[in-house]
This record gives sequence, structure tokens and C-alpha cells, in this order.
Amino acid sequence: MRANVVISGIGMITPLGTNPVEILRDIEAGRSAVAPPTRFDATPFSCLLCAEVRDFQPQPYVAEGKMIRLMNRDAQFAVAAAHLALADAGVKPGRAYLPEEIALFGATGLAGLPLAEVMPLVKASTGPDGLFDPGRFGQAGLRAVSPILSFKILSNMPLCFVSICENIQGTNGIYTPWEGQGAQAVEAAIRALECGDAHCALAGGCDVKTHELAFLSLEQHGLFASWQQNQAGLAPGEGAVFVVLETADRAAARGVQAYARVSGSSLRTHQPGSSRSDTCVKVLEGLNLPHEPLSAMVVADNGDVSAGDDERRALSALRLAAATVIKPKKQAGDLFAAAAGLQIGLGALLARRGSEPVLVDCFGHGSEQAAFVLEKP
Amino acid sequence: MKHRAVITGMGLCTQLGRSVDEFWRNLLAGHSGIGRISLFDTSSLPVRIGGEVKNFKPDTLFGEFPEAESEKDRKLWLGLDAAAGAIADSRLPRDDFQNTPLFVGVSLETFFLEDAIPSTPVPDAAQDFARQVLNQEPRRPLQTPLDRLTQILGDHYGLNRGRYTNCSACAAGAQVIGEAFRRLRDGTAAVAFAGATDSTLNPLALGGFSLLQILSTENDQPEKACRPFDATRQGTVLAEGAAFVVMETLEHAQRRGAHIYAEVLGYGSSLDAYRVTDPEPNGRGAALSMARAIADAGLTPGDIDCINAHGTGTPKNDVAETLAIKQTLGARAKAIPVTANKSMTGHMIATSGAMEAIASAMTLHTRRIPPTINLSHPDPLCDLDYVVEGSRDFAGRTVLSNSFGFGGQNATLVFRRSDA
Repeated sequence: MRANVVISGIGMITPLGTNPVEILRDIEAGRSAVAPPTRFDATPFSCLLCAEVRDFQPQPYVAEGKMIRLMNRDAQFAVAAAHLALADAGVKPGRAYLPEEIALFGATGLAGLPLAEVMPLVKASTGPDGLFDPGRFGQAGLRAVSPILSFKILSNMPLCFVSICENIQGTNGIYTPWEGQGAQAVEAAIRALECGDAHCALAGGCDVKTHELAFLSLEQHGLFASWQQNQAGLAPGEGAVFVVLETADRAAARGVQAYARVSGSSLRTHQPGSSRSDTCVKVLEGLNLPHEPLSAMVVADNGDVSAGDDERRALSALRLAAATVIKPKKQAGDLFAAAAGLQIGLGALLARRGSEPVLVDCFGHGSEQAAFVLEKP
Repeated sequence: MKHRAVITGMGLCTQLGRSVDEFWRNLLAGHSGIGRISLFDTSSLPVRIGGEVKNFKPDTLFGEFPEAESEKDRKLWLGLDAAAGAIADSRLPRDDFQNTPLFVGVSLETFFLEDAIPSTPVPDAAQDFARQVLNQEPRRPLQTPLDRLTQILGDHYGLNRGRYTNCSACAAGAQVIGEAFRRLRDGTAAVAFAGATDSTLNPLALGGFSLLQILSTENDQPEKACRPFDATRQGTVLAEGAAFVVMETLEHAQRRGAHIYAEVLGYGSSLDAYRVTDPEPNGRGAALSMARAIADAGLTPGDIDCINAHGTGTPKNDVAETLAIKQTLGARAKAIPVTANKSMTGHMIATSGAMEAIASAMTLHTRRIPPTINLSHPDPLCDLDYVVEGSRDFAGRTVLSNSFGFGGQNATLVFRRSDA
């Protein structure tokens, strides 16, 4: 890592709760939020489990209440997690930093809404022959849905709501749709700090994969294959996680005790024809890890048997091990676009309490794979 | 050490043409690419016009991109067509692709309602509907992940130095070029590939945007419906298309004797932090984006010679952008020519910024500024030097291009005539 960048704030909305310290404690204690869904029936799918955020209320995080109806669940989570991260870092835009000095980089997942919100449109747009009828769609289908439907499926909206609710006006970018894009968002935030585009950055992601439409897409795109082949696999989750990044100097000048220093990052593209475990090895090699032992590892294992094997092989090939190894995705669900934020946030907590580096794997679906090294500041 | 970044390849797939030459000829001539939508039956929708890429035959792509044959997302095909054009235009040796990052801008996912609705009665229960969709033969995915084009392009050309799928709505096309530019400038890469694709001309997107009441409903005069900065403007017109560029460091381009269209000089972005439905009315966020790009370019506002405006034709956006230009350029604002390509293409959402980047590069390259058509009733609140009389000679050295997205994301690029 080229600049001395630290993590000074963490905000989490996850199936295991909203207090990062308690979430880490729960994960280390083996508690899991993975369970049969309560908001929809998963019986049509190969995967029957997910990790839901329970009892979430967006009102405390959104000053303008009527804005909530414009937001999908992803956006509500994003706004809440961003607020918690900034509060944790003691950053109030306009005080510690000007709004335009704060960057915002994030990742969002596949667009989707609960089918219950879409079914009225589907039914009203279907002709007597059972086929989609464009005439009915225009005359009745559109009237059956909220006029703000577009706002709920535009992938950039969650982060735009974050900027509005928290008055963040700085440089920005939004990536989609998998785990690696969450890592790209964090890397982009670090770059923005390095080149002086921003003095502070909020980075992370949000995703909601706990509804029928998401399960449909995951099933259709083969992400539940491990369930079919091994009776084990990933459990989709939901949530949002953001971290606040600053240069160490600026954090120190504010009198902030940072959680961790980002001492290494490595992002690689998986190439067709090569094995996933080879790609993981290249990512980990790119970290130039010190020869001293690791104090902890936050691994990416999400329950998918093949992906888990690939990661284990890579760690084993490089003889990487640590006394503490946590697998957040197996207990909090796979948060996809928000997963990198969760991994990094938990890694930062582990770094604060250990004397050696913490390895954070952000492996996942799609071509982009990443890992970070965090150390005590 | 900072490197200079230049554009050496450009490709387009638009309603005004599928080659840069054809596109540019039509743009300079003031031809409108907006007409009745023929892709699906729009008769029951309030909006029935758009900037459709006519006579586009995706099957002509499947020889080179066989993996695209099983896809059905139109923006993916448009993107492949434009990307292949840019790469061919650059004449870049295949060996140079290996360490090349790829940046792709997109916006809205397409949901294939027409395919998803099974030819049996739609059940009341969501889980039964899901079961029906899953049991369909052949398999018909409900949606295409937004990174699908990124993956196909990356795999096909072996672009393995990072693949980025940016979904910053109407700012995405400019942001991806800005991010590519930064990689070249900081020496992380010697070649970068960037562009965007979009097609909102499908039932759900067109219907959804219609509900937001930001679209012109002047279905009887499609070619006149998009009127940026005109007092009678009623809204924007959705369009589809794709635009890609190959960028290189100046030394890399010179070493291989590449044709250089223009230099990318600066990039800035900002957030309005105002409302998701409207731009900040005073143009604060837009002005910040412009000021950042100018500073990033190492220029002052006095160095800007032309502006390629975001210019959507919506009542609020055009006033906010005019105010932002005035804030940024000060007393010079009214002396700088401003052009709005969307008056002819319509709003390609994610692609707009990339298409306008190509138009900006061509403005510098050919020394001609394309007109803003349909501006015949000056709006007292939009009182800049909009190029309305037809295309205009241009002796300047810099063009600034604005892209402002739904939700308040802003991005600005600055280009300079290549002296190489």
C-alpha cells in the first residue's frame, strides 16, 4: 500500500446485528443468522436458507421521512450503515471535513425487488393467452406499481441516498454487482485519498438477496449449484457495511484512534482457462505478505464447497495460517456487494487487538478477486 | 511521474451511425436520430419515441463473439459492436491487451418481463410464479447481471488488469473514461479501454421513466422533442447506444505510431447531495465537478474553449447546468460555445458521457463544433452561447464535457487538442 491510510470508522447493518464488536464476538462464538427465510417461501429453489436482517427500521437514519418511500431495502441499509460508520469515526460532514472533501465509493448488487412488489405488474400485463401483452402493460401494468419503481431498481440510487442523507459531495464511483466490486470500491477510495481527490472517504457496499427475485437470479445463474451437488452451499444474505478511511495524519490530527492501517491490497482478474485457486494464489502473492505470522484471517468461504476448496488450496500453497480464522459469510450470509465491506470491517476490529497483520480475503463471484492486509495503526 | 493520456481508438453504435465518421457527419449536419420506437409495441405508453439504433442486427456479431449469441440483453450487443469498433480503429496489437484495464459504464438492469411471463395463467403466489419461471424450457433468465458485457469483452480480448463495471447512471460513461485516464496518468497502465452501453428502450425502463414525468411526450414530432436549453423544452428523450474508446499513454501511442484523436487532460466528479429526483437548483454540484476537472487538468477556467453540455432538455437540468457553467467560467461563460449532443441523439443514460467524450475529441480533431438543434426559443434562464446556427468552426484547444446523473452524481472530463 502506497499511502498511510487508516480505517477510522465502521458501520454495519447485518443479519448478526449492527454493533461491529458484538458481530465479531458472535462470529467467533459460532453464532449464525442463517435460517429459513421468514419473508418469502424458498421451496422452489435449491437453496432453502438465507440470512435476514431482522427488525430493521430506517427512520433513525433518514432525516426526511418521506424519502424512505423512494428507497428500496438496499438503500435503507446503505444509509444506515453509512451513518453509523461516520458517527463511529466522529466525522460530521461540514465539521471535521467539508462535504466536498469526503469521497463516496460503493458497490451495489444485482437489481431486484421482492416479487410481491412486482407481481401486480406481471399479472396486469398478462393477456388471456398467458403471454406478456404490451398494451396491457401500458394501460394497466404500470398503474399497478409505484411510480417510483425506477428509483428502486437503478443501481446507483443507494449511494445517492447516502450522499443526500449525510451531505457527502466529494469524488465518487459505484461498482456492481459482486464481492470483488466491493473491494474495488475500497481500493478506489484509497486511490482518492492518495491522489488528493479527497481527505476522507466512505467506502463499502449494500445488497439484498433475501427475496424471490434474487433467489431466482442466483438459481438461474448457477450460484446454487453447490446445493444441488453437495447439499451445502452459500446462504444469501442482506445488509450494508461502510468503513471510513482517512490518511493516518489526518486521523491523528483529529485525535481519532483508528482501528487499523491498510498495509496491503491486491486485486486481480480471474482469467478464463486458469483455476480459481490459482487466481487466489496470485491475489495473495500480490500482497507481499511479511514472513512473520498472521494474527488472524478473515476468509471468504461462504459455504460453497468448490469455492471454499479453492481458497483453502491457495492459503495452503502459500502456507498462510493464523491462530484466529473467521468465516463471516457462513454465519452472516453472503452479502455479495456488501461482503468486502463486512470482511474488511471485521478485519479492522481484529487488527486493533492483535500485534501481527490480519489477512482479509474478498474472493467471490465474477472475475474480480481481492485481498487486503490490515495492521494495528 | 505523471504520464499524458491520449485517445487512439473510438467506436460507436448509435442512432446517428455505427461508425465514428457516420456519427460525426450526422451530428455536424444536425440530423436527429429520434423517432418512433419500433423495438416493441409502445401504443399504450405515454411515451412512444426514442433514439433507437435502427437496422442493428446483433447476429452479425456472433461470429466474433459467439458467447453473445445466447444473450438477449440488447445493450450488451450494442456494447460489443462499439467496443469492437474502437479496438479495430486503434489498430492496437493484441499483445498490448494483456495488461490493459477495462472500464464499462452501465445503468439500469433489463428485466425480461415478456419472456418471464409463462404461457400459463400467472399464479397468485410469488413462489408459484418463481417455480414456473424456473421450470421453463428453454431456460430464460429474468435479468442479465450488469457486468456481463465487461466479462465478455474482458475474456474475449484478454483484458486482465482489472475489470470495472461502473453503474453511476448518466455519469457512468464519463466516470469510466476518467478512471481509465487516471490509471494511465499515474503509470498503472500504458493502455486502457473504456466505454459504456445502455438501452432503456424496453417496456419496463421506458414505462418506469415515463412514470417519473421527465420524458417528452411529443410523440408526433419526435425529431423536435428533445430541446436542450429551449424555453419550450418539455423533457428528455430516452435513447440507446454504446460508445467506447481506447486510451494510451502518449509515449505508448507515439512509440507505435498510433493515430491520436485528442488528449484527455482532466477528470473531476462530485455529488449534489440534494435530491434523487432533481438536480441541485443552483448548479452547486455540477460546478464543483467542472472546477475539479479543470484543476485536475492543470488549467484555469480561462483555458476552457468549448463546452459539451449534459443538456438533457429537462426544464430543471438545463437551468442548473447553465448556472454551473456561469459559476465555473465567470465572466467568460457567455463567450464560450456550448453544444448539446442529446438534442440529436436523445439521452443514452450511461452511454451519454462516453458518446459526448467522442464528440468532444472529434470537435478538437476536426475543428468543428456540432450544433444544438431544436433551440429556437431562447430561455432567459439559459443565456449562454449555445451553438444553434449549424456546426461552427472551432479554433480552440480545449473542450470540457459534462455528465450529470440521476441521483446527483456528476462527472466532468477535459480534453485538449493533441499537439503530438
